[in-house]
Amino acid sequence: MDFSKSMSVAASGMRAQTDRMKTIAENIANANSTSPVKGADPYRRKIATIHNNFDRELEANLVQAGKPIPDKSDFRAQYDPGNPNADKQGYVKLPNVDSLVEIMDMREAQRSYEADLSVMESTKQMLAKTVDLLNK
Amino acid sequence: MELQDLPLLSMLRQRMTWLNQRQDLLSQNVANADTPRYVARDLKPLDFDQLVGGPGAQNNSLLTTNSRHIAISSSRSGKFEDHETPDQEFNPNGNAVSLEVEMIKVSDTQAQFQAAANIYAKAMTMMKTAIGR
Repeated sequence: MDFSKSMSVAASGMRAQTDRMKTIAENIANANSTSPVKGADPYRRKIATIHNNFDRELEANLVQAGKPIPDKSDFRAQYDPGNPNADKQGYVKLPNVDSLVEIMDMREAQRSYEADLSVMESTKQMLAKTVDLLNK
Repeated sequence: MELQDLPLLSMLRQRMTWLNQRQDLLSQNVANADTPRYVARDLKPLDFDQLVGGPGAQNNSLLTTNSRHIAISSSRSGKFEDHETPDQEFNPNGNAVSLEVEMIKVSDTQAQFQAAANIYAKAMTMMKTAIGR
């Protein structure tokens, strides 16, 4: 019997969720970053991608975090004439990050991670039960 | 004849193999819970008739013509069939995995595996009683 397969699949899921979390953290951290150069674009929000690929050795669908893709939506504009980055009308371009959306995404990643973890726990207990047969 | 050719033990062995394979599939489903266009999969239920009277239960080991030949065990170690079972209506991204349903299946598999392992241990104790230990 081979429990390492389900362990590896759960681990790949956890790795993918961690990568997703990294992208989300980047977005939240940069929610208010303006451009260092006057008139240039500020930080652009990234969207984490997840896809599956078939592992021939394990004969299972592993999960992998793909390259984050940039969010093409418009930047936020804030009226702040005193800011050195402001344009002629007095508006400053801010990143297109909505922290509410990011927090939702973060919770989702957290839930998926927890689910992977409990699958691992359960597999571990099944393995322990099998090893226990040796004691009988 | 080997110990694992006993009907009771070979049935338990198949049951445990089935549960182990199901756990593999379920962990795949949970890991892919956010993957676009992924549909949950599950094993076909284990058939009692097949366990008792099917090809797996028959003694289909190779004939040995020499006393030094090693007999091949009759129990099958083949793979059980799986198929797609969408847990829910498709998400906008084409994913059909419900974490709740999968977690219930995982804990169910775990409990059933424990039961099978316990029965296996009991059967072994019976064998030991028979040989007077």
